[in-house]
Amino acid sequence: MIPSDQFVRFYNEVFKFLDAKGDGALEDYYRVVSEQQEMHCLALFKTDGLAGMKAYWDRIAIEENCDMTCTLYEDRLEIVMRRCPSLSKAMDNDAGAFERYCDHCPGWVNPLLAKAGYRCDYDIIDRALPQCRMTIFPAAN
Amino acid sequence: MLRYRETGELHKDFHGSMNAAVEFVGERYGREGLREVFRNTAQKVYRSIYEKLKAGDWSELLEHWRYFMEREGADFSIAVTDTEAVMTVRRCPAVAHLRKLGMVPSAYFCDQTVLLNEAWCEDTPFEAVTEITGEGCCVQRIIRKHSTFKDVKHDSE
Repeated sequence: MIPSDQFVRFYNEVFKFLDAKGDGALEDYYRVVSEQQEMHCLALFKTDGLAGMKAYWDRIAIEENCDMTCTLYEDRLEIVMRRCPSLSKAMDNDAGAFERYCDHCPGWVNPLLAKAGYRCDYDIIDRALPQCRMTIFPAAN
Repeated sequence: MLRYRETGELHKDFHGSMNAAVEFVGERYGREGLREVFRNTAQKVYRSIYEKLKAGDWSELLEHWRYFMEREGADFSIAVTDTEAVMTVRRCPAVAHLRKLGMVPSAYFCDQTVLLNEAWCEDTPFEAVTEITGEGCCVQRIIRKHSTFKDVKHDSE
């Protein structure tokens, strides 16, 4: 068993493998991850909107030991990630981080948000720093 | 001493992500595709465990097993003799969490154990034999290959 703590280092190897295969394999995989995440998020996001998203990412912040702030405004949700545990682990890794590791996050989040009627502006800031900003809006705005 | 030794909260939903990952790679690239990913994981990500195994030392692997199986709440036991280390898993926390989520384990789900153990033992004085004894149950054996081990000792003398 790969411990849940260390899944992201395995994930990082899956990204490298699929990227080397080409033919859009990595992007196909992101779509599968997004569909799999629907079981956790889609009904919540559709029903409770931005508040449901805040509830989801607040739980993730605890379970994944993130240093992040998730602030709900009337028209948007702002997430400021000061220490992303996922990229931190991919970097603290004898196999080295996949150079586009951060792409998996919008890769699964954006299609799911679109299905719920929302969109997200991502600021990855720096692929070598475990920090980013996300702002989520209703798609109509 | 473990190279990776996480503390704090657990995000067990990653077992669901693992299920999706092995299903995707297994369906598209077969077991050889999975073998490549798990070989890279075992030998590059867990390089310190692998390097020790190559030197005939299973101590970090056993520490890894104990620490993370306890941390995940597994029902398991480990028995170690001069010739083999055997982990008997009576309740796999990964399979248990999939069922809690209402998910069906992929046909490839246990390859994360089978192929990882095999890759850890490649080109080492050990052999891995993993027997799946039921859903969420298995017996994992790391067996010391005496003849090879003697050869290694002889070569270093």
